[in-house]
Amino acid sequence: MLDFSGLLLGFEVAFNPVNLLWCFIGSVLGTAVGVLPGLGPAATIALLLPISMKMGSPVTAIILMAGIFYGAMYGGSTTSILLNLPGEAASVVTCIDGYQMARKGRAGPALGVAAIGSFVAGTFGVIGMTVMAPPLAEFALKFGPPEYFSLTVLGLLLATYLAGDSPLKGLTMAIMGLILGSVGLDPLSGAVRFDFGVPDLQSNIDFVTIAMGLFGVGEILINLEQTEAASILTTKIKNVFPTLVDLARSGWAMVRGSLIGFGVGILPGGGAVLSSLISYAIERKISKHPEEFGHGAIEGVAGPEAANNSAASSSFIPLLTLGIPGNASTAMIFAALLIHGITPGPFLLKEHAPVFWGVIASMYIGNVMLLVLNLPLVGVWAQLLRVPYAFMAPMVMVLTLVGVYSVNNSVFDIWVMLVMGIFGYLARKLKFDLGPLLLAFVLGPIMERSLRQALLMSHGSFGIFFSISRPISAVLMGVAVLFVLGNLIAGFRAKRKAAAA
Amino acid sequence: MKRALWICALVVIAVVGITTTSMAAYPDKPIQLIVPYGAGGSTDVLARAITQVAPRFFPQPVVVVNKAGGGGIPGRVDVVKAKNDGYTLLFGWGSGEDLVVPHQRSLPYDIFKDFETICRISVHSIVLASPVTAPYKTLPELVKWAKANEPVTATVSTKGASVDITLLLFAKAAGFKLTTIPGAGGAEAITRLVGGHVPFGGNHPSEVLPHFKAERLRGLAVAFDKRDPSVPEIPTFKEFGYDVVTAGSVKGVAVPKGTPKEIISYLEKKFKEIADDAEFQKIMKDIGQPVLYQNAAEYTAWFKAAYDQYGQLIKTLGIETK
Repeated sequence: MLDFSGLLLGFEVAFNPVNLLWCFIGSVLGTAVGVLPGLGPAATIALLLPISMKMGSPVTAIILMAGIFYGAMYGGSTTSILLNLPGEAASVVTCIDGYQMARKGRAGPALGVAAIGSFVAGTFGVIGMTVMAPPLAEFALKFGPPEYFSLTVLGLLLATYLAGDSPLKGLTMAIMGLILGSVGLDPLSGAVRFDFGVPDLQSNIDFVTIAMGLFGVGEILINLEQTEAASILTTKIKNVFPTLVDLARSGWAMVRGSLIGFGVGILPGGGAVLSSLISYAIERKISKHPEEFGHGAIEGVAGPEAANNSAASSSFIPLLTLGIPGNASTAMIFAALLIHGITPGPFLLKEHAPVFWGVIASMYIGNVMLLVLNLPLVGVWAQLLRVPYAFMAPMVMVLTLVGVYSVNNSVFDIWVMLVMGIFGYLARKLKFDLGPLLLAFVLGPIMERSLRQALLMSHGSFGIFFSISRPISAVLMGVAVLFVLGNLIAGFRAKRKAAAA
Repeated sequence: MKRALWICALVVIAVVGITTTSMAAYPDKPIQLIVPYGAGGSTDVLARAITQVAPRFFPQPVVVVNKAGGGGIPGRVDVVKAKNDGYTLLFGWGSGEDLVVPHQRSLPYDIFKDFETICRISVHSIVLASPVTAPYKTLPELVKWAKANEPVTATVSTKGASVDITLLLFAKAAGFKLTTIPGAGGAEAITRLVGGHVPFGGNHPSEVLPHFKAERLRGLAVAFDKRDPSVPEIPTFKEFGYDVVTAGSVKGVAVPKGTPKEIISYLEKKFKEIADDAEFQKIMKDIGQPVLYQNAAEYTAWFKAAYDQYGQLIKTLGIETK
């Protein structure tokens, strides 16, 4: 029998006026940054980390951040459809058919289907979480050091291979992240490493500083380069409520997108971006009208938009039950929980039930808010695209500087952030994806710790990762090995083909 | 002319105002408790328990400031550097960083020259616990099992800290080989223990109590000279004939060196009143931390003894230093 008492407790927390207000602010802010190209959810959450520390209750802070995260999944489609520019990374594929629909004067139905698909999938994702998270939290106790190590290896591998345009670039970034993560105190012995005699480096580089540098400052710099963005489609947006024919065509796409998103979101290193790509590929493959794809097929909007929302919800499952964030945004929420003295992991549900259920309940409410915000008011959001960047950039810059200083009252952190910002800018220019870096920075210490703990447990034998007595670890390692082999063979074949041609 | 007069009057009022404030009795502004660890840890929880009752004892607010990271060292540096005017207090004086770490590496301050002790509030003893699923239910059974399955492993929060030393001391006393597996603090160590990934481990009572109640863990012995009032049902190592007694992790209060005597005795008196307060004792019971108050003189002597004891243990166990 399902036990709904937890969820009821959650709604009690989420309906607290303060939490309700922040849930609303998060949804609005999320939609806004989703709409605005350049400023993504990861950057926004990074900017808000210092503010969240000053919030009295952790649940309020996480409700706000979660709202931004899934709110951005709604907003992202608006820009993709109207501008052919993805508002954030998970809406890249939405551009393909969404923009074509807009050009044919069907911007309204495209936006409508995107919002409805997001709502259906978002709600599906949250229901999935409600049902699956508690048993998974119990299951998570089976994860000891060997399992954690295997999982983080697999997660980092997936994130690396799926990032940007080249696995090599992803790998470079991931290694950068691992190196940065090893600066400071050794996680097991407490010895100081890589401090170069600088006392500020002895206490590990702060996550907030890195995140705000890479995602905040880096994005501002890269956006300053772009002269005014492409002009918005000036046609009036009408008929956001899709016709019956549209709904009939997109309904199953939404369902499939929801399922794909949920499954992919649980995987470490998966998440919204990957799930939207998979969903698009599947829709095109099974469609009765494959020729329409690329020319305004409504399934090509509904499927991916559903998938990225469902994935955004389900990526909270490994975060909350295992304490393993799967992507940059959840890595930030991971940091926010730690800042508030809450360790995400198997005991979160037991020890901080109000936080756990409060956040889940707020996601139900947030999705309803977002549907209202995005369906009738989509025209208003489109106006946001007219705010000149000359006003936005300095404001965001001041926020980052004040924010990073306020965390530790340290001027050193400001310098670290600025250096990271310039690094982030260069990386973006050279088309390096920064996601793997941030993820590796967070996962690195967990990986190192669990590797060394596991080897202590096994008295030095690597067999512990592959042994039958630890099936979870063995399976995870097996998948990781197959994944690498598969990619190597595919790469080798492609090369041979190219050589033969 | 008239204006000049006004200005003069204002200046006089201002000067008088300033002198009166500086002459006013301590404390006349908020007192900061520097917790050199993150929010939510056992030291932080204790500090917050103090602030809950503090308004009834102090005329000024008592606020907790978390200065986490760097193994608790940066927070202590902040206190050493702070003005010795009684407004910046180190909370958690007597933790592993003060009693254990100085034997192992050099620190940016001298724990005997840079601090002035106010009092001791609580002691977090070390409990040996094992998952309820383990085949042994008592300490003698565990020893028997460990000898048959050498070398065995155990979780400890951090390497070379009080828990680590205590478990190694026990293994030596009982005569079995033990590899301790350190990690990222108490919470993470508990997770590994509850998941059954290691046969046993050491933790503080406040960390294991919820798991005793949930019947996930079982406490086998306490490494204290008498039973810990927060877990009275668990016997001491001594009761089983093992001479495993350590100071655990001690939670006291200190101020920077050179703080005026009147301020020290004022704070000492106030913390004594808090330690005796019924509401405070109730809160402490709920969070599983015993109230074990000692005044400045008692605690200074006890601190030195505990410090020397850890130094001796580190030497006998051959734990590498520096």
